[in-house]
Parts: sequence; C-alpha cells; structure tokens
Amino acid sequence: MASISIKGLTKSFNAGDDAPAAVSQLDLDIKDNQFVTLLGPSGCGKTTTLRMIAGYIVPDAGTIHVNGRLISAPGNVVPPDQRGMGMVFQNYAVWPHKTVYQNVVFGLKLRKIPAAQLKAKMEETLALVNLTGLEQRYPNELSGGQQQRVALARSLVVEPEILLLDEPLSNLDAKLRENMRVELKRLQRRTGITFVYVTHDQAEALALSDHIAVIHGGRLQQYGTPQDVYARPANRVVADFMGLVNLVPAKVAGPGTLEAAGGLKLQVALPDGIKTGDSVEVSIRPENIQLSVGGTGARATISERTFLGNITEYYASLDPGPTLRVQTHPAQVFAVGDKVTVEIDATQCSVFRSSAL
Amino acid sequence: MSVQAIGPPIRVRGPRTRLRFEHFVMGGAILCLIVLVVLPLLTLLLGSVRGEQGMSLENFTEVLSNRLYVNALKNSLILGAWTGLFSLIIGVSLAWAVSRTDVPGKGLIQVTASLSYLSPPFLTAIAFVYLFSPNAGLINVLVRDVLGLPFLTFNVFSMAGLVLVTVLHTFPFVYLLASSALLSVDASYEEAAQILGASKLRTALSVTAPLVAPAILSGTLLAFVNAISLFGSQAIIGLPGRIVTLPTRIYALFDYPPEYGLASALSLLFVVITVVALYLQRAFLARRSYVTLGGKGARPQLMSLGPARWLVFGFVVLTFVVAIVLPYSTLIAVSFSKSWGLDFWKGLTLQNYKFILFEYNVTQRAILNSLGLATVAATIAVLLGAIIGWIDLRTRLPGRKLLDYFALIPLGLPGIVVAVALIQFWLAMPLALYGTLAILLLAYVGRYIPLGVRAANSSLRQIDPALEESAQILGASWLTTMREVTLPLIRPGLFAGWLLVFVPVIQELSASILLFSSSSITLAVAVYNLYETGYIEPVAALAIVNMIIIGAAIFVANKLGGGRIASRSGATQGLAS
Repeated sequence: MASISIKGLTKSFNAGDDAPAAVSQLDLDIKDNQFVTLLGPSGCGKTTTLRMIAGYIVPDAGTIHVNGRLISAPGNVVPPDQRGMGMVFQNYAVWPHKTVYQNVVFGLKLRKIPAAQLKAKMEETLALVNLTGLEQRYPNELSGGQQQRVALARSLVVEPEILLLDEPLSNLDAKLRENMRVELKRLQRRTGITFVYVTHDQAEALALSDHIAVIHGGRLQQYGTPQDVYARPANRVVADFMGLVNLVPAKVAGPGTLEAAGGLKLQVALPDGIKTGDSVEVSIRPENIQLSVGGTGARATISERTFLGNITEYYASLDPGPTLRVQTHPAQVFAVGDKVTVEIDATQCSVFRSSAL
Repeated sequence: MSVQAIGPPIRVRGPRTRLRFEHFVMGGAILCLIVLVVLPLLTLLLGSVRGEQGMSLENFTEVLSNRLYVNALKNSLILGAWTGLFSLIIGVSLAWAVSRTDVPGKGLIQVTASLSYLSPPFLTAIAFVYLFSPNAGLINVLVRDVLGLPFLTFNVFSMAGLVLVTVLHTFPFVYLLASSALLSVDASYEEAAQILGASKLRTALSVTAPLVAPAILSGTLLAFVNAISLFGSQAIIGLPGRIVTLPTRIYALFDYPPEYGLASALSLLFVVITVVALYLQRAFLARRSYVTLGGKGARPQLMSLGPARWLVFGFVVLTFVVAIVLPYSTLIAVSFSKSWGLDFWKGLTLQNYKFILFEYNVTQRAILNSLGLATVAATIAVLLGAIIGWIDLRTRLPGRKLLDYFALIPLGLPGIVVAVALIQFWLAMPLALYGTLAILLLAYVGRYIPLGVRAANSSLRQIDPALEESAQILGASWLTTMREVTLPLIRPGLFAGWLLVFVPVIQELSASILLFSSSSITLAVAVYNLYETGYIEPVAALAIVNMIIIGAAIFVANKLGGGRIASRSGATQGLAS
C-alpha cells in the first residue's frame, strides 16, 4: 500500500550553530505493509522524525517521499490534513467533548461518506477494536485502554495507508500494555497498513516490529530486523540500548582471538579493519554466559544475587577484572562468595572498536 | 480491513507552500492589533513632540514645569499611594480572614469583594456625594443640624473622600490575588516549620508571608494603576474639591480649543507611570510561580480566633455596609424621592423612573448603544484574543512574542489616554469616525483586548495540541479543526473572558467621555452628564437602571456560558498533563 522513503532528513530546533540537531542526516526506507519501530531514548529525535513524517514539522534539510511522491522538503511541505495518514498520540488525544461515535465518525464525515456506508464502516471498526456498544459514551466515561482503542478506531476507520503511532502504550498499565501489543500487531497484519511506531521501550519494539530503526542523538544507528538489532548490534550504542549487556574492554591477541582482563579468552569473528593489538570492547549478553563450578574458563566470584522469578541474576566478578551480569535458570543456585567458572557463547558476542577515552 | 474501499486520501496535491485560509485570518488579526493599538500609540507619540514649528519637546517642558500639570501629577500619585495602601490593608485582612481563620461569614467577604469590583466606581462616588457633600449631604445634615455635632461632618470633596470612594473599588484586586495565593500555599510548608519548633507567628512571618508577598504586592500595584486611571470618581469627587488629577486635567485640555500636543505629552507621562507599575506587578507575579509548585493537596490550617473572631466579623460587616449597602441603599432611596433630604421618605415617587425611561430621550438610546457596544466589543476582543493566543501558542511565526506584548500594552493605558490617542489618529485619517459608535467600539476593543488574549491564552494552554493535530491528520482543514475541536474546548474560558470584557465596557466612562457624541452616547456618559447638569433624583434612577442592566447581563451571560462542557472538563484536564 504505502512505502516511505526518507533521505538526509535534518531538523534543528535551536538556531545556534553548534546546537545539536534534533534529527541529523537520517535515511530510512520503510517498505510497504510493514511494522516499523523508531526506537531510542527520550530526546533522541524519534518523535521529531515521526512528526516530520506526519507533516507537523518542516524539515531543515532532506526529503520524505511516500510511494515515490515528495511530501516533505524544506519550504515544501504537504500539510498534515492532506497526507491521508493516521496518527495515534501518546495521550490518546480523544476529543473530550465528543462521544465515541462522534470521535470515530469525524474522519468519515470529512470524506463525505454516505450515511449508510458510514454506519457500516463505523460498526465494523468499533468491532475491530472491541468497542461495540460504547458509541454514546464520552471519553471521561472510558478507561485509559478504551480511550486508546477509540484513538485507534478513529485513525483506522478512514483506512489510511500509513498509521503513525507515538508511544501509544506508554500511558497504560503493564498488563493492558501487553494485551494492546498483541492487538496492535494483529491489526497491522489484518489491515496491511504501514505502521510507523515510536517507542523508547526496547521490549515493545522487539515484540512488535518487522524492522527496528534505532535512533540515538538524532542519528540512525541501525536499521534491521529485531533479531539483527538484538544479536548483531551495529555499534556499542545499539548494544547498550537493546537490553542488558556487559561491555568488556579487551585486546586483540591474534586473528579472531580476544583477551580481556581476568583471563577471559574469546574466539570471535572480528569486524573489518581491526587488527592484532587493537583495543576493543566486546558486548556479552547476560543470558549468553554460563556459570559452573569447576569448569574450564575464566574464574570469578559471585558478588551479588538477585532472584527475579523466571531467572536469577548474578554479578560475577572476574579475578582480577570487570564484573559481569549473568542471567541463569533459577534452578541453578550459587551463594554470594562462591567461586565459579565463566563460559561465554562467543558466537553471540559483538566486538566494537574502543570508544576514544 | 474491508473490501469496500473508502477511497484514496483526500485532496492530494503536490507539495508547495501556498497561502491558506488560516494565513488570512492570522494576518487579519495582526492587522487589527496594529490598527487598534500600535498606530494610535504612535500617533500619540508624534502628537506629543509636534510643536509650533516642527518637532520639539516644548510640550514636555510645559507639562513638567507648569504647576497646573505638575499638581495633577502629584495628586494622582498621592491618590494612587493612599489607595494602594488602604487596598493592601483591607484586601490582605479579608484574604487572611477567609483563608486562615475561623471567622464567620466567609461568604459575605466573597460577596463584598465581587460586588465592590463589579460596581461602577462613578456610581459609588455619586452615592457618597448624596451622603457626604459638605452642605446638603444627608449624613452631614443629620450630624450637624439634627444631632448638633458639626465636628463629625465629613467633606467628601477632599483627598480623603476620593481615596475612600476609590478604595471601595480597588481593594478586591489585593483581596483576590492574596486569597488565591494564601489558598495555594501547601499546608505542609507551614507544618514543616512548626515541626521544627517555629511558633504560629514565626511561621506566618518567615514561611507564609514571603510565599504570598509577591501576589500581595502585585495586587497592590494593580489597585494603584486602576485607582489613578478612574476618570469618573476623580471628576465627581475631585473637581468640586479642587483636586485635579491626570485624567481630569487631560479632560480639561479638550475644552475648546483642544490642546492636542499638551494632552498627548501628559498622556505619555501618565502611561509611563502605569507601565512602570505594571512592569513591577508582572515581575512580582512572576516570582509567585514557586508557590503553587508543591501546592497539590493544599489544606491550609485555620487559626482559631476565639472571641476575637467577632471583631474580625465586625470589620467584614463594616466593609460590606460601607462598600455595598450604603451606596446602593442611598441610590435606591434617592431614586424614589421627590426631593433628596432628611424628609425624603415623606414624598416617595416613581416619577424619576418615568422621567428617565420615557421622557428623557437620551436614556433609551444610551441603553441600546451601551448594550450593543458591550456585546460587540466583548465578542471581538475574545475572538481576536483567541486568534492571537493561538498564534502565540500553536505556531512558530517569527515575532509572535512581540504580538503578545502588543496585545498586553493596553493594560497600561488609562481609558482617557486611549481616547486621546484614538481622537488624534482618526482625525488624521480620511475616515470620519470621530463621534460615531465605531470609534467607541475601537476604544473598547483596544482597551480590553488584553483580557480577551489572556482568557484565550489560559484556556488554550489547557488544551493538548495533540487534540488539534489529530483532527488535522484526519484531513480537517484549519477552519474545521477550529470549529470542531479548538473552539468547543475553549468555549468556557472564552465565555469567562467575554464577561470579563463585557462588564467593564458597559460601565466604561474614562474613554467614552472624550469620544461620545449625542447620537453615540453611552449609559455611563448619560449618568455622568445628567449628574453634571444637576438632576439629583433622576440620576439615581438612571444609576439603578444601569445596575439592573449590568446585573441582568451578567446573569444571562453566565446562563449561556455554563454549557455542557464544564461538566466534562475532567477529561480535558487529564489530557493536559
């Protein structure tokens, strides 16, 4: 239905020359019928990017094309009301002075849909988001989750080719958030609408997306499938942002061999351009570390234990060297002070050039 | 989703920047502001430096050296200072009683403050003349001739009389700001001081007072500015007592032949005083912001006054009697009298009302003019305010802050100054507006546009921009978004703003007195003129008619403005977070 092509997108809010740009030189190709997430910490520029796609913000430089048609360039912007997109806002933005019915029907009326078709459309959409029967309610008579569904229905009923979602689940409680996550994903499949979804929650991004665009400091850090982004982060910023990670300084001892403090040795695939003797950082996910008693490998001492229900998390201090966070099956029990051996699944590790100190 | 397609996105056009409807609306609003405020002010500036031969400062030298003008300046400052001081004392006492003590009759305090604020000050002045004019004032006659206590008489035609009459109108400024500040101080601040061992007095002095001081000072400065700007009471009380102030001096400069240059220079001097005072006021108020920071569940502690609370209550009753009961019962009594005097009750009559309503041909015209002008002026001021507020808050238009400042300027313009500026500007224009209803309308809208802007601004701030953006992304044009989303949501705020403009406009005298003609006469001017001509009893009848109209208008506007939305404002607030 709709593809989005973003090239060199740049936006800066402060006029100062050395003020950091909110979004800088962003390139992104979003294919038709995809669920794409813009992921990053708050202030990273993801919402600015979304609002430029919607047309609320005029870019300083760069272009946005939808289906090959130019819709945004500096001084040359199709206003939001002529883009035919849908948008769901973080705080729902359901109009408090209109009933559920009036909220949802708004876009259809603007499109002058005949009454009979309008009613059918309306009922179909309300059923899609499980709101049937609440037509005459006012928003303040609805729960947060229901208001969120009204916002969704209002956007979906006009069948946009692109639906923009700005942290739509962040105001819901944990349980509801999980339910809505499943529903959103199902909706995207059923409608074939291109979803562009902004969130700072990496778990949400991993669960929902076909592709994730990790944005940090206004720049695109990596664009790939959730598996890619999680298992093969492009740089340490991405590695650090995508869940828990141990970043361990190491030296390249030979081709494909790393040595870290505490006698840790790893056989890994090195990225291009890294030679023997270079200083690097290796990112190791807590779940890729095995602890055992009396195994072969680096020695460590358990310094902290936290029981989290489905897993147990240990802090294992290499001797001498860094402390690693390790997640194990709760059945595997060590006590603080236990001497253990650390084994690392090197195929799941990533190596980055050391950031300048 | 469905097989039956809704159709492609609407109105797809190639990207190009073009003028849209909203640009014209915004441009129009900016133009209005320029014509209403900026150009007349520039004319005033120009007029003040135009001498006999070209540009000169001779007007200013004259104004600053001639005793006529220096005295007026001095009197205005004295009046403002005394009024400010007494407003401070009365306002803070009442505010403290309401928010911090167990004094009975708190409702009475609220009523007194609101009614005093709403009462046209020139009517209060007239009522006090009926009671305290040196020879014929009813109370003076009673005290001197009946009781034989001549030393107890009070001459209202004096600075003391002028201050008394003015304070009755200005103390609510201090009261309102002080009481809202006191109520917003979180009790925990005071409790924190007490748990550390501070006495009640110590707590009040070292915690509460500094927190509310900015609001109190700000209210006092507002009282000061309003006090010196009132033409009516200063003409009615001041002139017979030979106390000439800035507004009355400027008014006198328009006796034939009008001295435009001097009037402009004196007006500018006047503006400097009010602007400095308002600047200080805003600076003080800005410091207040931290008060509300912690004030979530404010439950201020009430001090038990014991028997002393009846003393405080007595003060409240006294204020109520002097500010409300005395003037209005006097006006009512006079309006039904054949002849005002100690024996007035012996000859009660409806003749005054009959004369005013049916025989005096000015009244009906004045009522229609005033109602029409107030309605139209309030509507325009609020709509302009909404557009200007919207530009300020929702666009990135360069210079929008400047626009906001321009819209606030009239706050510092006394009514008579607005009139002086408008007369000169429109006399220089090819359009013959002088003496028409139109120039009065311009004066009212220009003078009260800040109230419209502020009402719109504070309502717009509570509306999440996402509510408008979500209409836009669904394909709604600017006009549709305004009509369907923005305006319905800010309607209660706009209605409040509308009333806030309507009430002062319908009793406006300071600017109208220079701008009216026999066909465009307004109610307040009619009352003043009738008083000046010496019709004692009919004036009172007209004053009562005036009050009834104001009361009815407020009642109707309140009924209309309540609306259904207020009941759902909870949802709006949730969004604003």
